[in-house]
Amino acid sequence: MEERTRAYLRGRFSDYYRRADVPLPPSADEREWGFIPWTEGPDETMVRHRDLLDLGEMGAFLRRKRPRHVYFSAGRYETPGASTMAEKEWLGADLVFDIDADHLPTVTLGEDTYAEMLAKSKDALVKLLDFLERDFGFDDLSVVFSGGRGYHVHVRDESVFPLERDERREVVDYVRGNGLGFDELVHEETVSGLGVKNPTTRRTLPADGGWGRRAVAHIDDFVDELLAMDERDALLHLRTFDGVGEKNAEAVLNVVQNNTEAVRSGNVDVHPAFLNVARQLLAETVETEEAPIDEPVTTDTHRLIRLPGSLHGGSGLAVTPIERDGVADFDPLVDAVPETFIGHDIRVAVEREYELAMRGETITVAPGEQTLPEYAGVFLMARGWAEKAAE
Amino acid sequence: MEHRHARYPFLGDARRAVQEAGVDLVEVVREEDAVVERATERVTSAIADRDVGESVASDRVELLSYPVARVVVSLVDENVCTRYYAEAEASRAAERFREDFGRQDGRAAITRAALLREFDLGDAVTPQRDGGFHVGVAAYLRYASSLRGDEWRLVNRALDAGDVPVSEPELDDLLREAVEERVKDGLPLSVPDAIGDALDEPVASIRETLADLDLTREIDTVVPDLFPPCMQHLLDAVQRGDHLAHHSRFALTAFLGNIGLSTDEIVELYEVNPGFGEEMTRYQTDHIKGESSPTEYTAPSCATMQAYGDCVNPDALCEHISHPLGYYEAKIDDADEEELEDWREEREAE
Repeated sequence: MEERTRAYLRGRFSDYYRRADVPLPPSADEREWGFIPWTEGPDETMVRHRDLLDLGEMGAFLRRKRPRHVYFSAGRYETPGASTMAEKEWLGADLVFDIDADHLPTVTLGEDTYAEMLAKSKDALVKLLDFLERDFGFDDLSVVFSGGRGYHVHVRDESVFPLERDERREVVDYVRGNGLGFDELVHEETVSGLGVKNPTTRRTLPADGGWGRRAVAHIDDFVDELLAMDERDALLHLRTFDGVGEKNAEAVLNVVQNNTEAVRSGNVDVHPAFLNVARQLLAETVETEEAPIDEPVTTDTHRLIRLPGSLHGGSGLAVTPIERDGVADFDPLVDAVPETFIGHDIRVAVEREYELAMRGETITVAPGEQTLPEYAGVFLMARGWAEKAAE
Repeated sequence: MEHRHARYPFLGDARRAVQEAGVDLVEVVREEDAVVERATERVTSAIADRDVGESVASDRVELLSYPVARVVVSLVDENVCTRYYAEAEASRAAERFREDFGRQDGRAAITRAALLREFDLGDAVTPQRDGGFHVGVAAYLRYASSLRGDEWRLVNRALDAGDVPVSEPELDDLLREAVEERVKDGLPLSVPDAIGDALDEPVASIRETLADLDLTREIDTVVPDLFPPCMQHLLDAVQRGDHLAHHSRFALTAFLGNIGLSTDEIVELYEVNPGFGEEMTRYQTDHIKGESSPTEYTAPSCATMQAYGDCVNPDALCEHISHPLGYYEAKIDDADEEELEDWREEREAE
């Protein structure tokens, strides 16, 4: 990045902070603060181990320093400004989640456009929120667009505050489906019915919570699909499962047709051939329903995370808090574009051709010097794809 | 002091009873031999038999021997001693409270509800009509995360609306963990000299018991042949000079650190690898071992190893353990002491 570009972005970030009202997170004075200034060269050196007293009043600090990136800790401490973790004295931490396009199995880096990556991140976010709300019962979630390629969720429920690393690891494993075991998941009950000489056991996937509930819903869809097909297609479909030949396909279709309710309710012992299919359906459930979070962010009880309301220095977009019921309609390429950068055009020199979709318009950028809406120019410069040209 | 306090000496009530009776611990350890003797037995049996031994008839002696035992454990100050002691106290307590919870004659020394309140679980645990319970997820994690067995992993639980359903015996297992945590809480205590001096003898005798059993060395022995298949695989890869993914290198380094290798020894073990960078290995190792960072990291569990694709060639023993360290401990336990050849001694002999 050239000095002229850096100076421009610095100045415009300062203008943004003059107008913006950036609220502090709860217990801000017990948190560690860090920021990355606009410096020369590719190195980004973070200034950290600061407490709120070091920074002074946040609004004034942001206007004065107009940093490239601003962070605060998920952890809360007795002495947040101390330079080692031991001296800080950990009191507890928010439970934080990071969804980043870099970690999504569905994203192909270099192939997906920025807008596509953001859409896939949103899908992952929705899955994560389902786990957090329906399973964990958290009701006070703070959802934030990261300003980059994804979303953050902060959980500040009092009960999660003291959780240690190992316990947070279990939360991570839960939303990712790591270590999910078919045999551990099923409930076993003893059945001694009519005509049965010896009591046998019947295993069911618990439909009242957890991954069992998701697996049962998946089996329910599978039954719908199978019953909607004609018999020949249904048999062919069943034979796509591992270990299912002609005979087993017929057996499975038979129980699905004739013992439909038992299958739908999660009973996996309706037929030995179905048990095998059920195991594979559980694996499919994990593949389609897991929330692909960036794991170390959640297990790290000292993590620094972007300050909502600040600007992301790698995109010029605002780190934007999202109302819970506004998640579905939130479009980062519209809603996270700072007002400050709207309504002006600037001159920039671009390296190569790009297509940007921002504020509902597709902007095609050709290599060379040109005039662009400021938000598009800022985005390209912050990403390192353009330099500021003389006006 | 009531019988209940002697039966459950870790209760807040029991501690208050001791305080209210104006007991001076210095006087007790100097003059009440019966208390010191019972305290020593609690710890010695815990190490040798994983049990805290028979209660004595006097409630006073039985109760006071508990705080004295914690002082003794603090003076011995060995992780393995503290761990076995807390486990033994918790097992004894669990036997007793299970018995009490089952009593129908109204003479139980404690009820499940009272014990739940003792550990601030009164609000987190709600009884269900089917005889089971719902446990709030944070409380569940606090006590279940140290329990072995895949059935305890949250991912395998029917979590709904913040509650984890558990059966009655499972809830009692969680309470056992709560007791163990309570016993361990604050250990090692800082012990005034006046008390410490009076306990020189019992402390020495417990150190002897520990040395005889060679417990402290148990996990300090480095025998790569007994490593779980996953760690053997990673170690082979490092020594071959293969590039390991960050998580794999982390897993191996943490494992080696956990079984007692120093940074120098880990560096030496990796050094066979021609492409190894000593500085980087040293830095990473110090960090993982907690020497240059706030946390000493524990090697990942089997579930995590599986998730990262680092679980290779699992054998029969793997089915019975949930953590690579558990595998190694079990192997060391089984192996004949004489036949174990520490990798480090082997090196020194060369």
